[in-house]
Amino acid sequence: MTYVIGVDVGGTFTDAVLDDDSGSVIAAKAPSTPPDYSRGVLDVLELLAEQLGRPVEDMLAETHHVAHGTTSSLNALVMRRVPEVGFLTTKGHRDSIFIMNVEGRYLGRSPHELQHVLAQDKDHHLLPKRHALEVTERVDRDGNVIVALDEDEVRAQVRTLQDDGIRAIAVSLLWAFRNPVHERRVRELVAEIDPDIYVALSSEVSPRIREFARNSTTIMSTQVGPGLRDYLTNLETSLKERGLAGPLLVMQSNGGAVAASEAPAQAISTVGSVLTGGVVGSSQLGRRLGHKNIISTDVGGTTFLVGLIVDGEPERDTTTVINHHPINVPTLRVHAIGSGGGAIAWVDAGGNLRIGPHSAQADPGPACYGQGGTEPTNTDANLVLGILPATGLLGGRKALDVEKAREAIRVKVAEPLHLSIEDAAAAIHAAQNAQTGDLLRKSVVEAGHDPREFVLYAFGGSGPAFCAKYATHLGVAEVVVPLGPVASAFSAYGLAASDIALAQELSDPAQLPVDPVRAEKNFAQLEDQVRQGLDRQGLKFDRVEIVREVDMRYAMQLAEVTVPVGDGPLDENAMNAAAQRFETKYAELFGQGSGFSAAGIQAITYRVRGRGVLPFSPELPPLETGDGEPPVSGRRPVYLEIGQGFVDTPIYDYAALRAGHVITGPAVVEVPTTTVVVPEGRTGTVDELGNLHIVKNGA
Amino acid sequence: MVMAVPGSERFSSRPVDPAELAAQLPESLPVHTVTQEQIDALDPLTYEVVRHRLWSVTDEMGEALKRMSGSPIVTDANDFDFAVSDELGQEVQVGLYNTMLVGAVDLAIYWTLQHRATNPGIAEGDMFLTNDPWVGGGLHQNDAMVYQPVFTDGKLFGWTSAIAHQPDLGGVGLGSFSPAAQDVFSESLPTPPIKVVRDGVLQDDVADVWVRRSRVPMMIGLDLRAKVGANTVGRDRLLAVIEQYGADTVKAVMKRMMADAESRLRGKLTDLPDGTWHATGYQDQSHTGDRGLHKITVAMTKSANHLTFDFTGTDPQSGVVNCTYAGMRGGVMLALLPILAGDIPWSAGGLMRCFDLVAEEGTINNASFPAAVGRGPIGPAWLTGNLVAECLSQMLDQAPDLDAHVQATCCGTWDTAVIAGLDQRGAVPTPFLSIMMDPMAGGYGAQPQADGMDTGGLFCIPLGRVPDVEMTEFLYPVLALWRREEPDSGGPGRRRGGVGASLAITPHGTSFPIGLVLASNGKAVSQNNGLAGGYPGNTGVEWIARDSEVDAMLGAGRLPAGLDEVGGTAELQPCYGETYVAPGEVFTMFWQGGGGYGDPLTRDPEDVVRDVREEKVTAATAEAAYGVVLDGSGAVDAQATDTRRQELKDARRARGPADGTRETIELTDARRLDDNLVAVTLDGVDQVACRHCASVLGSGAVGELDLVRYEGPVTDAGPQVVDGAGDYVDGAVHFRQYCCPGCFTAISTAVVPVDHVDDVTRTSRVLADARS
Repeated sequence: MTYVIGVDVGGTFTDAVLDDDSGSVIAAKAPSTPPDYSRGVLDVLELLAEQLGRPVEDMLAETHHVAHGTTSSLNALVMRRVPEVGFLTTKGHRDSIFIMNVEGRYLGRSPHELQHVLAQDKDHHLLPKRHALEVTERVDRDGNVIVALDEDEVRAQVRTLQDDGIRAIAVSLLWAFRNPVHERRVRELVAEIDPDIYVALSSEVSPRIREFARNSTTIMSTQVGPGLRDYLTNLETSLKERGLAGPLLVMQSNGGAVAASEAPAQAISTVGSVLTGGVVGSSQLGRRLGHKNIISTDVGGTTFLVGLIVDGEPERDTTTVINHHPINVPTLRVHAIGSGGGAIAWVDAGGNLRIGPHSAQADPGPACYGQGGTEPTNTDANLVLGILPATGLLGGRKALDVEKAREAIRVKVAEPLHLSIEDAAAAIHAAQNAQTGDLLRKSVVEAGHDPREFVLYAFGGSGPAFCAKYATHLGVAEVVVPLGPVASAFSAYGLAASDIALAQELSDPAQLPVDPVRAEKNFAQLEDQVRQGLDRQGLKFDRVEIVREVDMRYAMQLAEVTVPVGDGPLDENAMNAAAQRFETKYAELFGQGSGFSAAGIQAITYRVRGRGVLPFSPELPPLETGDGEPPVSGRRPVYLEIGQGFVDTPIYDYAALRAGHVITGPAVVEVPTTTVVVPEGRTGTVDELGNLHIVKNGA
Repeated sequence: MVMAVPGSERFSSRPVDPAELAAQLPESLPVHTVTQEQIDALDPLTYEVVRHRLWSVTDEMGEALKRMSGSPIVTDANDFDFAVSDELGQEVQVGLYNTMLVGAVDLAIYWTLQHRATNPGIAEGDMFLTNDPWVGGGLHQNDAMVYQPVFTDGKLFGWTSAIAHQPDLGGVGLGSFSPAAQDVFSESLPTPPIKVVRDGVLQDDVADVWVRRSRVPMMIGLDLRAKVGANTVGRDRLLAVIEQYGADTVKAVMKRMMADAESRLRGKLTDLPDGTWHATGYQDQSHTGDRGLHKITVAMTKSANHLTFDFTGTDPQSGVVNCTYAGMRGGVMLALLPILAGDIPWSAGGLMRCFDLVAEEGTINNASFPAAVGRGPIGPAWLTGNLVAECLSQMLDQAPDLDAHVQATCCGTWDTAVIAGLDQRGAVPTPFLSIMMDPMAGGYGAQPQADGMDTGGLFCIPLGRVPDVEMTEFLYPVLALWRREEPDSGGPGRRRGGVGASLAITPHGTSFPIGLVLASNGKAVSQNNGLAGGYPGNTGVEWIARDSEVDAMLGAGRLPAGLDEVGGTAELQPCYGETYVAPGEVFTMFWQGGGGYGDPLTRDPEDVVRDVREEKVTAATAEAAYGVVLDGSGAVDAQATDTRRQELKDARRARGPADGTRETIELTDARRLDDNLVAVTLDGVDQVACRHCASVLGSGAVGELDLVRYEGPVTDAGPQVVDGAGDYVDGAVHFRQYCCPGCFTAISTAVVPVDHVDDVTRTSRVLADARS
């Protein structure tokens, strides 16, 4: 037997999925164990082994690899629980990370917060000024050394940092991606002083133009790198001690994994992986179900994550935002919109119903959790409406207090609006559906797509209860609720199914026409790095896929668009074709005629992505076929439609459903991890993998 | 008073009474509206759903505009905006970009309804274009607005609009800015509303007339299409909402959104004390060669739930530092939106019902045709906004729970430098023309509970940004020697003003001088005023080091950290001028931080320590302005600090001794008036007292507060204020401070012209019902 294991370490739970080459899949869940998350990982592996009925050593001995996704680096950054690091940069430009291009004041804030200018701040700097030191040196945009590096000054600055207890230094000099000679020399000088100091160079972590994002990327990578190194070394040792045969892989935010030994040097690339897991899972499932265009919606208690899969490929991004800083990291694009099931309903000073943007967060959570929350949330409304079972969540393991939910809605919404508690709850539910539709639409349209051409996947604890409604507002015809054996660990399933993915990039900004020799040289260098990187993974690949791409922009316009470039060697025709593709894609994204081609086109950043396809692809097991009517497990009054009030509604227990069963709305399907609503006028069909497809009647 | 050109008054748009406007419309233009009953009948769910949908429509329109525009002023600096309005042009939902434009959009639509409804008519499928700042839509001719009527069932339902700053629309000066202009005929031609789209088709003849005037016609053509595209997105989405919910429902929501914003703002006003507050500020120089100080003065009266801004007494229009009525109104909005309506939805049509404007014609913020208005938004409209902000902050400071909305004045302008030359770095030399965007990183004013944001941006463009130095160097043949926050540039105060920053560039990759057009203000006299005794932020300054040794220095492995290191001759630049920076020379810009709040001698010494550590304040200024002495480890030397603070108080006492003695009063039931003053009611009469020493400073029965006035050289304000007004203007400028005669805490601190009239001692400033 050969196994592949995916482990997703979240803030609360550590999920694991194990596939074998005979097509069976099992999942397990254990509490996460901060600050040392590796204990939770070992715990969940024990649980998997228990389910297999084998000793964990036997299981690991037959494991091809363990793919590991972790939220710990991201959490450390977001919670600012990171060690103090030093920063060395070009004299005269230290304040880039304090000026933050001004946009540090508002990046990552919600529309509501954007308007409230006087409540904004810029107090989230990465480090104090005394740890940001300058060195005399200067390279110009063409890579010429204008001012030589003052090595004595570098030594003095490093000693200053050392004296202040600094053990990790980020080095980011102007134009270092064009000529890294000074950065590399700085690293040598640091090593001469103390070889144990962790050093990250911007020319390696993020060789991309625009110093603010490059600086912050290099600094954040330095903040999490040493911690990640220690954690992974420790975990890999423990796994090897328990007999793990294959390598430990770490998930990156680009949707692919990398060997644990390679991860710390590019620590920042692992940071968003936990957010992108759902998109990877959707893309895997979409391949199986034959869906090419998918809107992936992962709705938890406090977050609502949206990703897009277009023509079979997850949409990518080259930049993300963490703690109001732009971060250069190739990533699957995930938008956080709204605040999931915890969005708070309230009545504003004008007497109007409002939903969000504030959220109850995990603590205290919705009022019905009985943890002291008094603000009514969408979850409270769903409980009052009978959508959620009064017996609680997770098959009754998470108790819910209906009275607390009713009281919160009565005080905060119903009485101020002169509505009954039930009508107020229905209004909250409906308003949340509509607003979610608006926000989803914004994500899809701004990416240049028409939502009507997509299938919507809805998962996470809170999404399936209202996905059919927000899909209607969005104009989507079909909704898929991924269920089946891995429903509770969808993200871990995505991990287990992922390949190795590496990317290297380099800015070499120039106006077109760019000499094809120059472009080819850039690509060849990057491809070499990627192929060497794949070799270092210590894995045998079925095949290696290499994609070359370049970010281009119109000279006078801000937006950069990534376009693929054919395999080398490049000639003028290939470069022209890339420019043509840029123009076409720009028009798709921003509208016909929106590109100012007369100003010329610029090639900014070259990128090579490599994928090592693993010879092992987990298959989901088919569900037993059922015939006849699906068994109704009970009935209760549920309030789904404004104006109709409570309607006696059939309740289905998911465990009793079989492939081919058809559920006619209105109906509620109870799954241990979530609750699915099939509204009136919709039909839900269970597919052969156990997923529920919801479509309009007659569609 | 300037005589307007006869016939030009037709183009001066003013706010209108909606009912009167509706009554004026011809029968050929039926409009869709709803009754109050329909508005009242909306259920809360529908209201919230449609309201959010309209927000989404507006947002989508703005995104479309931003993506399609080719102007870096749009894409990088976010100098644009957009709106959805009702059938009469009242703004229902506006964007968060240039908030000054909000005050101009509806004026253009009113004017269009008044002057275009019959001939050439307003019909489905039309779009109009204007860049006439007297008509509205924008604040100067560079602001071009494209807007369209949206029809449903043959009735005019509403309007969408998109405005963006255009890089060049002709005129004498590069970028349509001529610092020497004496009237509008030297500038870009103002174009009253013309129909640029008919029946859904962009009219080539009109578009050609439009782009022909520009030095960059292709870019203007692109931006025109971007705005047409954004409006099309807006209409399509709006019609989809109407189709789903019905025109009456959507309109009822639109009307209620405005009514809701209005009633919430009125509610907020009602809870505030009535009174009148004053503020006066200056434009130093009005054009190249001018040496005057040009004043804007405002009296803001709050009565019940209404505000009146009276600008009577403002100086006559002059040079290029003029704005039209639209600019004055935009200036009011730049302050009112974030300060009074940060927590109220920006349904501007409703918010604008809560105030009136009073202003004489022919003044620098209500200029008559043919005044030059190129500097309108960045000069007088901005100053108008900052003065309104100062009045609002004085008012709000008296409300105990609204101090989060109080703010000393922010950076007073966008320090402008247009650069143009020849880039010789590529195979083919290429001409370039751009504006240095870096001065967008201005400092914010301090607040009672927070320091001003350091390099927070420009208050009127909430979503502004500055480019990376690398992008600037990639695009233009310059080397940035530094771009850094400047310590001490934020005004000292109990809460410190946010610091500004500076930039130094030298040509790199060109053998020709780079041409410069400079426009700025706040160099001779402070514009970033402090509040409640807080000090003003820095004055701006630009230098060019002629014949410097910078190239030799770089070659020798040294990078300069200041102008004094590069050799050559330092040449001070005026507020307005045209010059150049040649290879081997260095050009530096140093723009404004924000004003401080409260007396710096009352600042927590630990905050000063943090400021010194974070290089926001130098150790010298910590001691001189804050009276905080640091020990060798950088921590507070408590004893030396006490001594130093006492010395500074004694120095204030010595320079302006108080007459006689005064009583103190029990402060137990005192009401806050600002950071220093409190009111105590004694025998039915309000007494004003010092919060720090309990001295009685005045009474509701007496018109004047008992404060000690001191006047001295501007150097008394600190190192951030350059002692060189005489380099720019003829009028003398001095430091003026009012202190409590009991404890000599600063009540008001300013750098102003010697003839500046203030009302710091006016009792009714702090007690509304005092004898004035």
